[in-house]
Amino acid sequence: MSGGAGDESDSPSGAPVDFDRLDAIRERFATDDRFSRVDGEPAGAPDRLVCVYNDRFYPGRVRAARLEVVWYENGDFSIHYHEEYEAGAFDHRWDRHPSDHNARDHVHPGPDAPTPGDDASHPPDWRDVLSGALSEVEARQRAFWEE
Amino acid sequence: MDDPRDELKAGDAERADAPDFEALAPPEEAVHGDRTRDDFLDAVLALDSPATAGEVADLAGHGVDAAREYLSWFERMGVVTKATNSPATYERNQEYLNWRRVQRLRREYTTEELIGLLEEESERATALRREFDADDPTDVAIAARAEATDRSIEAVWERLAAWQTALRRVALLERALAAESGDAADRRSAV
Repeated sequence: MSGGAGDESDSPSGAPVDFDRLDAIRERFATDDRFSRVDGEPAGAPDRLVCVYNDRFYPGRVRAARLEVVWYENGDFSIHYHEEYEAGAFDHRWDRHPSDHNARDHVHPGPDAPTPGDDASHPPDWRDVLSGALSEVEARQRAFWEE
Repeated sequence: MDDPRDELKAGDAERADAPDFEALAPPEEAVHGDRTRDDFLDAVLALDSPATAGEVADLAGHGVDAAREYLSWFERMGVVTKATNSPATYERNQEYLNWRRVQRLRREYTTEELIGLLEEESERATALRREFDADDPTDVAIAARAEATDRSIEAVWERLAAWQTALRRVALLERALAAESGDAADRRSAV
């Protein structure tokens, strides 16, 4: 029994995208004021959710920002935060999956989400993983407005 | 996560229109559903092995009596199946979730659209089968494959997961189409 936190969920040949978990997330984020829209293609069984942040949380120099969420049936996941400017971008990723150079749980930190990233320990509950990512993004958004 | 670079921050004029972050739902609330039922559904969605009512109660953040009640309801609906009797443990019933998705595909798409989606997914699955030169993704071990092909484990993991996903979608679409033609036959025989 687990939320998929440890190596015990390691599947030697991967697992399909967890469409049902993505549906639950889409349902919740669709009514959240953080996001202007939440897309999941292809229709009927999303590969990943593209959650577009409402641009009122960013100053004019930030052209767009989004959170891309993908979860797998064995508990693996990848959450990718992306900001775009006139020249350049900011990328940060929270991951749980097999890897050459990091623990199963790891982070590829901004500004450019390098490989290898930093080993990390994400919470066992998937909702805590997600709310942790939202909190970190919100801290960054707030910092845009500080002197 | 790092703070933004100074040149990206709001200018003095912009800062007058700073957004009200306090008006947002706190992140912990944003990721949870509104109802107790959502908490239990979230908990059983995350099960990757059989769990007792106590374990499900912990995951859901509710009491064990409520967990027993919801698990027995979910079992009747088919969302979970009982894995063992003593102690009683339950696991996510992927078969039911797939069935529910098939129903939804049938409801939301025409037969022509389903055929189009099936063609796309079948092509994707075939391309991945060629790429791996294997009959089935479960025949491929990520680490061994990465070593043999001199690719990173992440790269192989991602492609293999894409293959698993394409196959799942093919199976769902085929079932949706089979159900469609079944219906058509029913309608004809009823005339």
